[in-house]
Amino acid sequence: MPNTNSTARSERGQQPPESLPVDTVAALCTEIHENVGRVIVGHDEVISHVITTILGRGHALLEDVPGVGKTMLARSISTSIDCEFSRVQFTPDLLPADVTGVNVFNQKRREFEFRSGPVFANIVLGDEINRAPPKTQSALLEAMEEGQVTVDGTTRRLPTPFTVIATQNAIEPDRTYELPFAEVDRFMKKLHLGYPDPDEESDMLERTVGHHPIESLEPVTDLETIVRARETVANATVEKPTREYATRLAGYTREHAHIGVSPRGTISLTRAAQARAVSQGRGYVVPDDIKRVAPVVLSHRIRTRDRDRDGESVVERALETVPVE
Amino acid sequence: MSSRSERRAASIDLDGAVGQRSFRALALGGVGVLTASYVRVLHQEVTSVVGGSQTLLALAVASMVAATVLAYTIRPRTAALAALVAAVGGFAYYLSAAGIELGVAIAAWDRLLSDAFTLATGLSILRMVEAGTWAFGFVPGPVFLSWYLAMRKRYVWSVVPGGFALLFLVLTGNAAIPVTLLGTLGGIAAVAFGELARRGGSIAQADILAIAFALMIALSLSVTAVPGGENGGPAFRDVGGPSTLEGAIDGSPSQSDIGGPVDLSPEVRFTATVDEPTYWRTGVYDRFTGDGWIRTGSMSPYDGRLESPPGEYETLVQEIDLETEIQTMPTAAQPLSVESDTVSAAEVSDHGQLHPTETLLEQDSYAVESAVVDPEPAALRTAGTDYPAEIRDSEYRQLPESTAAAFEAETASIVADADTPYEKASAIESHLRSSKGYSLDVEKPSGNVAEKFLLEMDEGYCVYFATAMTQMLRAEDVPARYVTGYGAGQQVDDDEWVVRGLDSHAWVEVYFPDHGWVTFDPTPPGDRQGANADAIQDARESGQSGIDTDQSEDVPIEDEEPDDDPDSTEPDTGNESEQPKENTSETNESEQPNESNGSQSPSTPGGVGEENTDTNAENEGGLLSSLSFETLAIGLSALVAVVAGAHRSGVGSYVSQTAHLYWHGSRKTPAADAVRAYRRLEVLLERSYRPRRESESTREYLAALEEDVDLDPRVERVSETYELATYRGTVSRERADEAIDLVDELARERLPMVGDSGTTSDDH
Repeated sequence: MPNTNSTARSERGQQPPESLPVDTVAALCTEIHENVGRVIVGHDEVISHVITTILGRGHALLEDVPGVGKTMLARSISTSIDCEFSRVQFTPDLLPADVTGVNVFNQKRREFEFRSGPVFANIVLGDEINRAPPKTQSALLEAMEEGQVTVDGTTRRLPTPFTVIATQNAIEPDRTYELPFAEVDRFMKKLHLGYPDPDEESDMLERTVGHHPIESLEPVTDLETIVRARETVANATVEKPTREYATRLAGYTREHAHIGVSPRGTISLTRAAQARAVSQGRGYVVPDDIKRVAPVVLSHRIRTRDRDRDGESVVERALETVPVE
Repeated sequence: MSSRSERRAASIDLDGAVGQRSFRALALGGVGVLTASYVRVLHQEVTSVVGGSQTLLALAVASMVAATVLAYTIRPRTAALAALVAAVGGFAYYLSAAGIELGVAIAAWDRLLSDAFTLATGLSILRMVEAGTWAFGFVPGPVFLSWYLAMRKRYVWSVVPGGFALLFLVLTGNAAIPVTLLGTLGGIAAVAFGELARRGGSIAQADILAIAFALMIALSLSVTAVPGGENGGPAFRDVGGPSTLEGAIDGSPSQSDIGGPVDLSPEVRFTATVDEPTYWRTGVYDRFTGDGWIRTGSMSPYDGRLESPPGEYETLVQEIDLETEIQTMPTAAQPLSVESDTVSAAEVSDHGQLHPTETLLEQDSYAVESAVVDPEPAALRTAGTDYPAEIRDSEYRQLPESTAAAFEAETASIVADADTPYEKASAIESHLRSSKGYSLDVEKPSGNVAEKFLLEMDEGYCVYFATAMTQMLRAEDVPARYVTGYGAGQQVDDDEWVVRGLDSHAWVEVYFPDHGWVTFDPTPPGDRQGANADAIQDARESGQSGIDTDQSEDVPIEDEEPDDDPDSTEPDTGNESEQPKENTSETNESEQPNESNGSQSPSTPGGVGEENTDTNAENEGGLLSSLSFETLAIGLSALVAVVAGAHRSGVGSYVSQTAHLYWHGSRKTPAADAVRAYRRLEVLLERSYRPRRESESTREYLAALEEDVDLDPRVERVSETYELATYRGTVSRERADEAIDLVDELARERLPMVGDSGTTSDDH
């Protein structure tokens, strides 16, 4: 594999100034992963997915029962990359301005000044997003989609990178506002942490009896590096056979479900695959990257005809059926 | 594995849409072919000879139209009844035409039944006097019923009546191999496509049919291509003797074929004690099919005395001692009675010829009293044309329906100056003798032999001469028949004659009112005898046994002409009187070397044609042509089978895969080469383990294999190169070449893949 990478690099020729070498990014991913692993026990898959979501310019939706470490995951990642982190606890009475910020009249200066909301951060944890009313939800979702917020007619850009990690409470459905289907589509990935297995859990307990490890977690990189790594990911090669495979997969879901994967879903699929390829030290996407990310990228975008089946089974079936070449 | 079956399933889905309509059309086509096959046999073999082709085709078409119209208006039971009525009606029509009253027929039902059996054991339909009528009665039933059932989509049942009709014609020996084959294939196609239509099969399944058809063709033809099976095939053709003259004449009890080149057999057949030289008649034929002669009518047991000629005749007593086995009973023309101590029974044809009921053995002997009709030419000239009804209405004036007008025109010009039947016969006889050469080495023409001989050929042998003359006479409305037998033979004593195989001959009998059948011989006598003498001499020099009797060795040969010929008449007489002299002189000439060898050459004055050769010749010529046809057909069908089989089994792609496995081919772009190298690798892996599933990526595939076996690191290297070429879009020349080399290595090592690893993980 190292050989491949060196060849890849040497044959790539001139690189855009901002992007990092693929190997560096891969090493960085490993580093961040290990760092996060000091706090989060297990959940390697999900950690990778979150890291690649950040690199792939996407947002992640974690759906889980409370208390499995969603917030801890987001915090440890943002600490690792030394970025600004904010957390919004969504409640039924949360207003859009509570998320985006508000113009406040400064008596001294006799003018309005903008007091930015929690959304102005590199990593925003939207906790229990489905508890907030739709209007508030949509304020966050607009920020996710546009990379900017508009308050009182003034549009303000959000910092780069900007990644939302939203959590959704899977229990108490009667006290939630379920995310509209169109808005779920804006999350690159929908992930499940799930409960740790017994070994992992006892390991976790051992770590947390004294000081919580999050307190002592050190950054392993900085924002600039992350921006450059995102450039590397964006430059990863997606050749025609790969693109066609992604298209075939999407086509399959459209044929075999009530609502299939949208074009936005296909874009997300490709970007997630790019991020995964780079995290594996590869400057180009192979079908396996697509296959690996497809379940988490596509499943939540599919509405099945049959209640007994869910999006995951459709994606699973697609991966088993659709020809790779 | 799954990928392949999925692909197949997909393709079946695709062409399932091709539709039942085309299958139905094909099934109907199959029934049509089957119907056409037996109608064609009847047309080709029967009505084109005896006339009525138009009627036959009209009947067949009318039956089909009726079946189409009635297909949805009457019920199957009614249709079967209608077909039965048609069949019975046709049979009754035939009986009435044959002059048999229905009551008689019913009373003699056992005879009718036995007749049917006889027919089915190889008697040509043409042997029936009213063959044409029989064909008319035969056709409507099966045609109607099979087409009716086919229209109602009962394909299997529809093949039954058609199949029986064809089978019957096969058993009578009338259906030739290609037609039978075609009809059979038609029937099978009808059933097969009918099933496909009913069950909703797909075109993809037709390759099995192709294999089956090809197998049938190849098998059926190859059976007849086996040495010794030349005459085989579906027709129980009479097998000729072992390439001897008698083969043609004696070989077949009811027909005499016209063949190609023939050889002479010098073996002695019998010794005759008779006062005068005479032609030895063994067979009389009346119906000409265009390429052969058939004797119509039935045989009746000999019961003491035969009908004598209507006019004056002299009796001639002959004693025949057989020297070999023989299937005929040679007698001088118009036998009246026969006596024998050794031959228990004989039967008589409708034409007055004696036949043994079983093969005569070497020591058999019999005495025959014959009525020799030898009137003066003057008497024959005045005989007139007042033929008795049984002659006038018989087959003696039959010409094949297809006889060309040019033949009749040519005949008319030859007999332009002749007024009476006798003069016509003489004119034709002398014309043939003078205008055509004698040769045993002729290729049998296709089509009507008489026509071709008169109009196109320059030479032939007795069979050709006699056939042409008989047909020419008939064209002039003179009743004539084709007669086979032997020439007089070699005279070894005052009243003793040795007759050999090469004396076999064919000639003509012409009927004259108040006189009866008079012999004519259009074959130039001198040439024939020369050929015979040469053959005997050759045989003697080569020391062949059985070509001489004690007497014939010792006694100088003196040939005489038979008196039977209407020699006395001018042209004949002229020829005949010259004949003996020529013969004698030739004989003598040829004898001299023979004498020095201590043997004599026989000279047969009368007829030393070789007719037996016909059969042989036919066999040879037929074998040659049929071999080429069969070889061609076998080759073609084998090709079809191979192609279809390859398609079915995927051998073709396997072969090309294998070729690519070991040979990369010409280099192209690095990326293309890398991809090709990887494809070869996949084939290698597929053969060692399992094929990659379509939905499986390269990595998944290798990983899955890796679970069970340790893959060679080179495999991974090649697949990486492939990924670079395919998914990164660029790969270096060196990298691609390396991949090719690696795959070459792996192919040569035939994937030992480190360790034993014979464990294939089939599908998981």
